[in-house]
Amino acid sequence: MLRLQGVRKRFGHLEVLKGIDLEVEKGEVVCILGPSGSGKSTLLRCINLLEPPEEGRILLEGRDICKGPESGTGEESWELNYVRQRVGLVFQQFNLFPHRTALENVTMAPERVLDRPKAEARAKGTELLTRVGLADKLDEYPERLSGGQQQRVAIARALAMDPHVMLFDEVTSALDPELVKEVLDAIRELSREGMTMVVVTHELGFARDVGDRVVFMDDGVIVEEGPPAQVLDEPREERTRKFLGLMLER
Amino acid sequence: MNEIIEQYFDVSQMSKNFDEVLNGFLITLELALLATVLALIWGLILALLRQLPGKPLLPVRFLTIGYIDVFRGVPLLILILLISGSLAFLPLPKELTIPHWLGKPDNFWYGIMALVLVYGAYYAEVYRAGIEAVPGGQMEAARSLGMSHSQAMRHVVVPQAVRKVIAPMLNEFTALLKDTTLVSVIALNEVALVGRDIQSKSFNSSALTLGAIFFLIIVLPLARIVDRLIARERARTSRGGTPEVLHH
Repeated sequence: MLRLQGVRKRFGHLEVLKGIDLEVEKGEVVCILGPSGSGKSTLLRCINLLEPPEEGRILLEGRDICKGPESGTGEESWELNYVRQRVGLVFQQFNLFPHRTALENVTMAPERVLDRPKAEARAKGTELLTRVGLADKLDEYPERLSGGQQQRVAIARALAMDPHVMLFDEVTSALDPELVKEVLDAIRELSREGMTMVVVTHELGFARDVGDRVVFMDDGVIVEEGPPAQVLDEPREERTRKFLGLMLER
Repeated sequence: MNEIIEQYFDVSQMSKNFDEVLNGFLITLELALLATVLALIWGLILALLRQLPGKPLLPVRFLTIGYIDVFRGVPLLILILLISGSLAFLPLPKELTIPHWLGKPDNFWYGIMALVLVYGAYYAEVYRAGIEAVPGGQMEAARSLGMSHSQAMRHVVVPQAVRKVIAPMLNEFTALLKDTTLVSVIALNEVALVGRDIQSKSFNSSALTLGAIFFLIIVLPLARIVDRLIARERARTSRGGTPEVLHH
């Protein structure tokens, strides 16, 4: 489904990703853990081509989406449309469009990008918002919604493009603790439906429950990966043990 | 003291010339409103050109920035004289170089051209401040949903930017309205020229004062409206909307 080979990304002199190899099967939920600054978010942004990698290959359903910077100039050389209509990304800061209602946030891209008729987009948007428990908030503007509700709108917005893979970038980190569960439940529901997902998170319990595999990243490399029980309970690497120890002290 | 009142606030002078000064001011308003609408469009085009992404478009950005810098630096009065004095001699169609569109005289259009060229550059900077005040996550969210740069600009960034720049745009309108009086140097019968003619015939400035009062009638309420818009925007952002506040 998704395969990364030797992906590297540099910001100026700072090498943020130092050669990442990762494979995600169809229907699999991969949770990425790691300290801040370890490159987790950058990795997701590479897969979405918001930050195209400098080296390495990313194969999405068998197709190489990075033709490489030497193949041309500007973003035209990347398979942007192919990727963005197959990969959904949900951000830590929600990034809802504040001048549009919840439903318009969800229908905008299907109408503009996929040319869906307005009625069809609205029906689908209503269904998605209902699925994340927001049937009564269709016409609210984002500023009138709680953080948890906003994040669920953002999830519905990404789903409206019928993505094959969903990426979640610390989607509960900006939320008050009591709002975390409602967002995690929405993601849990998606995993039950068989959605392929890569979830960057600090929620160890969620990674254990929902993750098929846990990947621990530090300093731009994957330190170890494996089934949640193995990585979380019997980590092989010292760095992983240290990080998990710090997480449990919280 | 009496001399001051007599020279500047002679009510009989004002009432005698009221209609003439008012007509001049209406021409000023017409000039200012049309120039503002055109400059708003031209400024938005410049601002969008300046924001185009990618390396291949570097020359476009470079030229746009050059234009904006030059026309913000050129005195409006000199530009008016440059256009009105020589445009007619350029090897271009006469409809362009000696325009009489909408039944207006050519010096009206020379004034419009100069105002739009200069204020388009000012407005471009105001738009830019507004566009840059929209959090980067908005563009990223739109792009991650598959929208192109121009779709994201049109449906996500610009609508938010425009809301942020209404107050500074109104300030710019005040400046433009006042600068419109410079067009009097090319014999357009607007308020400053009308007032000056009366002044030189009557040796009294009250007609010009009346013209100034007309400006204040428009400008003073605008200043209050701008204050209220800024207060409203501030209230909106403190409620957890977009965090950036525009400084112009």
